[in-house]
Amino acid sequence: MSEPLVTFRNVEKRFDDFVAVRDMSLDIHEGEFLAIMGSSGCGKTTTLRMLAGLEAPTSGEIRIGGRLMNDVKPHERDTPLVWQSLALFPFLTARENVEFGLKMRGMAAAERKRRALDWLERMQIEAFAERNVATLSGGQKQRVALARSLVMEPRMLLLDEPLSALDANLVIRMQGVLTRLQRELGITFVYVTHSQSEAFAMADRVVIMSQGDIAQIGSPKDIYRAPANRFVAEFVGRNNILSGTVGETGGNGLHIDTPQGRFVAHMPETVPAQGAEVSFTVSADLVTLSLTEPEAVNKVQATLISEEFIGSVVTLFFEGADRLEFKVQMQERALLELDLEPGSAVWLSWEAENANILEDN
Amino acid sequence: MNIVNRRLDLYALTWRLPIILWQLVFFVGPVVFMVAMSFFVVRNYRMMEAFEFANWERMLTRGFFWDSYWYTLFVASLSATIAMCVAFPAAWALAFRASESVRRWAIFLLVIPFFTSYLVRTFSWYVILAESGVLNAMLGYIGLGPFRMLNTHFGTIVGYLTLTLPLVVILQTVSMANIDKTLVEAARNLGCKPLATIWRVVLPLSKTGFIVAALFCFILAFGDFVAPFYLGGSQEPTLPILILDTTKSGQQWPRAAVVAIMMMLTLFTIAFTAIALAYRKPKGARA
Repeated sequence: MSEPLVTFRNVEKRFDDFVAVRDMSLDIHEGEFLAIMGSSGCGKTTTLRMLAGLEAPTSGEIRIGGRLMNDVKPHERDTPLVWQSLALFPFLTARENVEFGLKMRGMAAAERKRRALDWLERMQIEAFAERNVATLSGGQKQRVALARSLVMEPRMLLLDEPLSALDANLVIRMQGVLTRLQRELGITFVYVTHSQSEAFAMADRVVIMSQGDIAQIGSPKDIYRAPANRFVAEFVGRNNILSGTVGETGGNGLHIDTPQGRFVAHMPETVPAQGAEVSFTVSADLVTLSLTEPEAVNKVQATLISEEFIGSVVTLFFEGADRLEFKVQMQERALLELDLEPGSAVWLSWEAENANILEDN
Repeated sequence: MNIVNRRLDLYALTWRLPIILWQLVFFVGPVVFMVAMSFFVVRNYRMMEAFEFANWERMLTRGFFWDSYWYTLFVASLSATIAMCVAFPAAWALAFRASESVRRWAIFLLVIPFFTSYLVRTFSWYVILAESGVLNAMLGYIGLGPFRMLNTHFGTIVGYLTLTLPLVVILQTVSMANIDKTLVEAARNLGCKPLATIWRVVLPLSKTGFIVAALFCFILAFGDFVAPFYLGGSQEPTLPILILDTTKSGQQWPRAAVVAIMMMLTLFTIAFTAIALAYRKPKGARA
């Protein structure tokens, strides 16, 4: 692969005693849609602000296009940011907002007006060009904010939770707008969010952050199906986490003895020693539910406690032996055929290849 | 429904009544009387009721009135401009660089000058500005001066600033402290140089507060008698000094009323224009 557009090398950012970002090393490639995801205070926004030059790293190196950027001032960079609050200038019209950056570059009035109107048209809000931004709706403001950044024709666009203020329908629509734009323009998007659905729906790669550290980097599918550690497993999706000790390592996978019995898991790349403590995850949607004992390597008996209905998918909560909690996701339609009620005893089973060993315990 | 409404009206009226009465007795009444008085005549040092335009004609056709009028307008505008410029760096630092607690203390300290009499603060300038005063002594060390600073236009401006500067710093600080800081960052992010953010973003956002601050400064200076009289030496009489002189010389209260009415009209016009400007909706938001 070619030289990455952005490299973080052992970057650390401290605010007095608080470490916002710890020893971060990360490559961002030309033309990718990268999402940085985590709960509030995990360091994702600080990372983005360092890219824009609004914070300087305490130590380490940040390079953009090979150039060391640690001390480059924000106005000397080509890293426009779409703000969570949008940060549109309330005293300007939509067009004047879009022109702002071009004006700062000293572009002639006629030319910048033409470019601003082009972008407003592309975002389908040219009708509001001469309106003050305060009079626009949430979705329209969003489009002005995007146009204001993209009119600068940057190599990389930074986005800080730009959809968090919109209602659910509009979020889906804007996700479509963003992914299409990113593909058409072929530029890098760095998208900070706390929303798993936003990150997974749009990004090529997702960085999961936790307390200033990168917990995992990977494609949405990798992260969803093979969480690397307990934090990611608990943060992402609905995972069942089981812990035990490594038994014999047979040919068909890793044998793990747990208080609930012996299970077989997918063999990880680095095989843990016999007797080591390990944990593994099973996605809630990869568990099979049956009323009679199934022919499967991994199975437990459990009692239905409660269910949570969200549209076409239902999450069922079970309790097994030794206070084991188990979550199962299935189609609402399939559940109706089983005719379960709280207290029903069932069998839960899963394939060995769907049991994913965690790196930590 | 009707009964409830009427009761509410009565309740509201009861509470409003004192302030309405106060305004009628002590503001509207005197103004009406002053307007009437401007048409009275003075004969043998005695004021007599009349309806003659002689006072208006006499004041508005004389050069000395207009000299004084334009001079007052000029020094009041100048002192408002100087106060706004001198206050800005301090207010900017307090709004953008200082912590919340430093800002609170600074505003408290800026209120303290108002605890002491303005007259006392004015006289304390004598010690500093006099020919043998502190400032000239200090300038003498580096071989400058002595300069005449009392009884000059400079003295008048110093006096006006004594009155208005703390207030202007407070008003500017408060209006800039409330700015959404991400807008300044957004401007930087779009290539705006640090200093340019002041007039590209900060000033447009704190426009209302700044116009109000300048207006207050102008009004206070325009109507002030102490600074031009004691520090300016009433060399070039401002309108308040003119009022005093007119009442003293020959009991010409009606002519003083003419000056006062002209001052009020000027202040009304300027204040109205300034407030309209301050609250003008931005482009594209007007109906």
